Amino acid sequence: MIEELAKNLVNLKQEFTKVYVGTSHIQEVIPIHKSKMFPIDENHLQLLHHFAKNNPIYYNFYEQKILEIPCIVYEGDINKYWLNSIQYGSSHAPFSPTWIMSAYVSMLFAKDFGFLEIIDIGSGDGRIAYCAKILNLESYSIEIDEMLVNLQKPLSTILNFHPHCSDAVQFDYSLLNLQKPVFFIGGLAQMGGIELATGILKKISLILKNVGWVFAGTYSLKYNSDPKNNAGWGTFMDEHNLKHIQSILLPTVWTFHESDATPYIFTQANE
Amino acid sequence: MTSLDDISKMFHIEFEKLDKLINSITPQSELSIHEIIELYYQIINMTSMIAMLKQQVDSNYPKSLIGKISETEKIISKKFNLDIHPQIMTKLVNSIHDTTVNLQSSDSTQKSKDDVENEAKRYEELRQKMSTQEFVEQYDKGLSYD
Repeated sequence: MIEELAKNLVNLKQEFTKVYVGTSHIQEVIPIHKSKMFPIDENHLQLLHHFAKNNPIYYNFYEQKILEIPCIVYEGDINKYWLNSIQYGSSHAPFSPTWIMSAYVSMLFAKDFGFLEIIDIGSGDGRIAYCAKILNLESYSIEIDEMLVNLQKPLSTILNFHPHCSDAVQFDYSLLNLQKPVFFIGGLAQMGGIELATGILKKISLILKNVGWVFAGTYSLKYNSDPKNNAGWGTFMDEHNLKHIQSILLPTVWTFHESDATPYIFTQANE
Repeated sequence: MTSLDDISKMFHIEFEKLDKLINSITPQSELSIHEIIELYYQIINMTSMIAMLKQQVDSNYPKSLIGKISETEKIISKKFNLDIHPQIMTKLVNSIHDTTVNLQSSDSTQKSKDDVENEAKRYEELRQKMSTQEFVEQYDKGLSYD
């Protein structure tokens, strides 16, 4: 059922790219109501809209039917966060978010796989941690860029997803009393994701064994492919003995103008 | 097989393109990104041609071609590398700095949809300038290895 939801979201995005006539820097859609294609709890949908409407990166929204599904289109701009991140060299990769709906669907998978806590690394505006909280998972967002953490703080008053301004490689995870966590690494393997994941994995392996990892990948020819595939993460997974659980395609801001969606690779440490 | 005459003719045509581009530039010129790319492309193009031709040069080569190769090398090493290229680098650095300061000082409150989208275009221009700067810096690194 969650796989179907993910496929429907990719189809919705593909149709949206055809009908979108605006010129905003970023844009995404959220269905207004529960439907056959999107059998999502109405309260959850309202919370997703609440996140978008209270998020200052979006400056405009309007209703539009896409694939006969009434949706709200959100138009936004993240340029000032990009400029800040490159100027101070504070992050591994500039802020470019996944779609809010994609964050929600990936959290449905995480919950379905039995994880209890979500730690979103390089959390941007905190949408993944926020969506985890909607599903009653404990969540923590770790972001090195202070400007982005300041963006998260008012949003975390809706649902407290515990924003932390910290270098994820230096953060003391033992403070969180984690039981069965899953770590989300949003940066591509080829854009600093490997270094980031390696640093965190080394720290975590000292305190916990049964840990999940989700990696955002790419099959784009713009990037070097990994000989062991898994959207750029295959060699890393082999080297760190991570078992593949599932790969799922979901729309992201950075693939809006591309025909492919972003592959998310769910893995778990081999016991 | 391409004859020496054909090679010579092609080299002269490419030289004319380069000469025209170089001569259109003054210290006051504000080159667009497109013009900068076009100019460096032609410099790299001619440098590669010269490297290839010099490997094959023998007594059969027409004197006019050898003279043109020498003239082109002088234009690239003196006029371009010592004068125009540093000028382009400096202007790019200054332009990126000015645009960055300008965008950072822009008031982020109470912007209309049009304001935000017009500003996004300036960010896009900034990204283009930064990419061009990277490309120009790569050329500069190449010079330091010569």
